[in-house]
Amino acid sequence: MNRRELLQCAALLVSGATASKLGFALTDEQLVYLATAPDYARAKSDFFSHQQRKIIAAMAEATIPATDTPGAIEAGVPHFIELMVADWLNDQERALFSAGLADMETRIPQDHGKSFDLLEAQQQLVILETMEAAAADSPWYSQGNIRRPFISDAPFICMVKELTIWGFFTSEVGASQVLRTNMMPMRFDGNLPLAPDESAWAPYMFIS
Amino acid sequence: MGSDQHYDFDAIVIGSGISGGWAAKELTERGLTVLVLERGRDLPHGTGYLGEHAPSWKLPYQGKPERDRNARDYEVQSTSYAFSSANRQFWNNDSENPYAMDEGRPFSWYRGAAVGGKSLMWGRQTYRWSEQDFNANKADGRGLPWPVSYDEIAPWYSHVEKFIGVNGRKEGLPQLPDGDFQKPMEWYGLEHTIKDRLVKAVPEITLTNARTAILTEDLPGRSACHYCGPCERGCSTGSYFSSQSSTLPAARATGRLTLKANQVVDRLEYDDAQGKISKVHVIDGQSGKRRSYSGRLVFLCASTVASTQILLNSASGAFPDGLANRSGVLGHYLMDHFLRIGAVGMFTDDADSYYYGNRPTGLYIPRFRNVGEQSSELDFVRGYGYQTMTMRGDWMMQFNSRGFGAALKDKLRKPAAAWTWYVAGFGECLPNANNRLYLSKAKKDRFGIPQVAFDFQWSDNEYAMARDMQAQAQRIVKAAGAAFAIPMGSTEALSVPGEGIHEMGTARMGDDPGQAVLNRWNQAHDVPNLFVTDGSFMTSSSCVNPSLTYMAFTARACDYAVEQLRAGSI
Repeated sequence: MNRRELLQCAALLVSGATASKLGFALTDEQLVYLATAPDYARAKSDFFSHQQRKIIAAMAEATIPATDTPGAIEAGVPHFIELMVADWLNDQERALFSAGLADMETRIPQDHGKSFDLLEAQQQLVILETMEAAAADSPWYSQGNIRRPFISDAPFICMVKELTIWGFFTSEVGASQVLRTNMMPMRFDGNLPLAPDESAWAPYMFIS
Repeated sequence: MGSDQHYDFDAIVIGSGISGGWAAKELTERGLTVLVLERGRDLPHGTGYLGEHAPSWKLPYQGKPERDRNARDYEVQSTSYAFSSANRQFWNNDSENPYAMDEGRPFSWYRGAAVGGKSLMWGRQTYRWSEQDFNANKADGRGLPWPVSYDEIAPWYSHVEKFIGVNGRKEGLPQLPDGDFQKPMEWYGLEHTIKDRLVKAVPEITLTNARTAILTEDLPGRSACHYCGPCERGCSTGSYFSSQSSTLPAARATGRLTLKANQVVDRLEYDDAQGKISKVHVIDGQSGKRRSYSGRLVFLCASTVASTQILLNSASGAFPDGLANRSGVLGHYLMDHFLRIGAVGMFTDDADSYYYGNRPTGLYIPRFRNVGEQSSELDFVRGYGYQTMTMRGDWMMQFNSRGFGAALKDKLRKPAAAWTWYVAGFGECLPNANNRLYLSKAKKDRFGIPQVAFDFQWSDNEYAMARDMQAQAQRIVKAAGAAFAIPMGSTEALSVPGEGIHEMGTARMGDDPGQAVLNRWNQAHDVPNLFVTDGSFMTSSSCVNPSLTYMAFTARACDYAVEQLRAGSI
């Protein structure tokens, strides 16, 4: 943390903005030059238990694993999910999420003998796919249903997936090591050959 | 005008946005001392653009909307495509500065909150009106004839275009006159493919660059676009036109500009003896202190709704129904463009073509209906144009895919298989006396000023036009070779009025003082030292984006006002 960030945290403490769960909701007066602000996912949270953190990390990494490029854990996605659940989800969504997570905590060891995070990768994948199959009727999966607000009654597995994918591709690691990012392109060329394995550009506008 | 009388300033300009910035520039450059009053907060050009170049991982919730805050404080503003956490400081706080939303009928009023007004986050598409547009009311009888012709305003269009910098392509179309353009921006590969097909299949359709007030060539103090993408966050290199990047610095350079932020104009005081406005009464938005300023000229450029609100709130014995409102039309004939009706095409072409840089504008299809004369086959008058956007899908377009693991990751990291082409209409709205804004009798704001309420409904002509707009968009997208075309929008329920953010017409101009608030020079018929040059002067709406026309009329009005002042006739 550099001096500027330290001062900003101090300002947050002094202002009493920590009354919000995370203290991230800045007033206009506190709004800083965002490009030099601390990363969103660096905020602190103690919303999940130690065990819940392990499960969420394992779910996120199973969704977006490390391959020849970093995966969800290296991109900070588990902590992003914790921040979002604590501060961004509304009460209804948070209750659904918490119930889903509690179910993971109790049901998986009953059915498989171990906590989700301790299972083999293949077992984890089967569990996630089974959960997804059970949720398949949800409008969350409807083709083209992407330019919309968060679906408040979406199944738990969909919430985890949406937050994982969002958190990953908008993180610094995801946007610049898996996608491509250039904040100052300096020119526009609309017709370049696309190599078969080339990644997309990280988007600069965000839908929903 | 008594030459011995003391005035605080030669001219007072109310509002610092697109029109107010132009008034400040033109009046100061003609030697006048000018006070610009802005109700929003001060905002320095460049360093005030707090969200500029902020990557997604720096944004609150990594770019997901701040739902609680938006619902609480930005209920209306946050519905705009251009609103985000990265530019929230540009927008009106709806809970602090509400309007009477539960009276009348729904109308979305988008409003700036800082020096620069809506020029900070405007859409930047910039088109000349045509001779047919200026003749439209007279030709079909649906509105008061315009007192100004295309030929009269054309030199002022040039004057404005050269200064603000508009990139575009000349097409030689009578319905969309060419201007003084900088070189156009490049096209996507798919757009070339589409153009080639349209030329053959639907030759009556022109696909051209959206003419946009973004530099492709440097101007003094401003750099050509660096293609970062989200202009609406503000641009410290001044690459898109805003009053902050362009007109206000020019006015400041004369040494004759005084700009005061946080100045809420309450009302204009009319002096019966002089037959003119003698004072502008303001409230300091921070301290609540009241004071007044005097000027020989008053230019009202606070935006259509706010300017009309000020005039309505300036009623006096001489003007019981609102200042300069002997005609009774003040607040009436409110117009906006309806939008988001058209078609989306998915293309399998050019899958191996990609891009570098973020082009912050699209292509445009100019009006092709009722061009020249009314078509006997169409059940509506006037016309519409399409703004088009070309996008290669990415993870955001397919995050709700089934699956997990390396295969999902690989699918989401790559460009989607298809290019998408959005064709979205902007339709002309007829002037209608029943569409209006008015002062609420029940509700006042925190300064004690009556809140604005709206009463607006689309007419049969707009609904008929919308049906054609949607059908023609599908025809065009199919002719362009889309693998499939999906209709966009509902022709049963048009956009919420105001959502076009092209609200205009509530203090219209016309030669007859009995039917118009303003004369041909944007001067109030009833009050010689009052000029209104934002969207409120518009007598019809055309279908093209209106800001260039506001700027051109503002510059012309300044030229006239200074002449009249020097001649002693104001």
